[in-house]
Amino acid sequence: MKRGSFVVLAASMTMAASAFGLNIGDKAPSTGVKMKGVDGHEVSIADVAGKEGTLVLFSCNHCPFVKAWQDRIASVGNAAKGKGVGVIVINSNDPADYPEDNFAEMQKRAQQLGFTFPYVVDATSDVARAFGATRTPEAFLFDKDGKLVYHGAIDDSQKADQVEKHFLQDAVEAAVAGKAVPVAETKFVGCGIKFRTKT
Amino acid sequence: MAGVFLGLSVMLMSCERTKSVPVENVRVTPVTSADVQRAIHDSGGKAVLVNMWATWCGPCREEFPGLVRVARKYEGQGLKVLLVSADDSADIAVVKKFLSEEGVDFPAYIKAEKDQPFIDGLGKQWTGALPATFIYDSSGKLHDFWEGEATFNVFEQKVVEVLGKQAKPTGGNS
Repeated sequence: MKRGSFVVLAASMTMAASAFGLNIGDKAPSTGVKMKGVDGHEVSIADVAGKEGTLVLFSCNHCPFVKAWQDRIASVGNAAKGKGVGVIVINSNDPADYPEDNFAEMQKRAQQLGFTFPYVVDATSDVARAFGATRTPEAFLFDKDGKLVYHGAIDDSQKADQVEKHFLQDAVEAAVAGKAVPVAETKFVGCGIKFRTKT
Repeated sequence: MAGVFLGLSVMLMSCERTKSVPVENVRVTPVTSADVQRAIHDSGGKAVLVNMWATWCGPCREEFPGLVRVARKYEGQGLKVLLVSADDSADIAVVKKFLSEEGVDFPAYIKAEKDQPFIDGLGKQWTGALPATFIYDSSGKLHDFWEGEATFNVFEQKVVEVLGKQAKPTGGNS
């Protein structure tokens, strides 16, 4: 079955005003939080920050939307890293609700897709909360000064052969070149983050 | 005693679900956001509830019985429910099968537009998260909106707020 590109909001009912999270120009929150990567090492957003910027991408394994984009996540992420942008992919989902989002599956997925950047577990989901992330895959790109310059989708279609606008790739190239990002915010439909219960 | 309780629980759960309808009775129309806006304004409802959902969305599936129950309970009082699937348009048969199992025999819709224009066309406050619910009054003015799963009680409360407002006397000295 083909899957739609809408984000599933797995948390309980929330008002949208609180769901938009960071604004363009904001600094990344929770940069010092150590998260376990698929290589077994703990790493933070600050640890991976690149001299040309930092790409933080909330993702997971189970989501049909992520599966549709996963090759492009790998290629855009690897290309960004090659340009000096630090990249980190964060799984904030509670695997109790989606077993496919467990650590072992993360390891498999990262290997299969050839991630050259950390794929980590947000063990409390608090990093996603701090960003105001609601969906997967949801991208936040910060420039070399640490300011948010792009927030939203990878591109404009979950079907690779129908992509017309490469939002994230264009944003990375603009940020690295020190230029204004052509489209700073985009909306998309996909899988909502299944937040762990606050303790 | 435990057995009686279990039996009652099963009965209550089964009451929550609406009887299925033949899949050939399920109508699903591809729509753009402009089509949905038109349907809202042309519905003639005293309250219009638009629910964005998808067959692959767990929380959407969980809230569906409550949604259908509210649609049934208040259809005679002027509630119109517009169910808009965000499934791929190629999966229309899957959507119809789900709707038939949930007992939806009123018109339903499936998104036929790219995400960004569809989301912006329905409402700027919507991030694109599913499920998402919009409730409009009879003039087409947005009364309430939220993202995420809701229960029958929440749907009912929000719908009654709109229906109740419009049921109030509009004037007079008596």
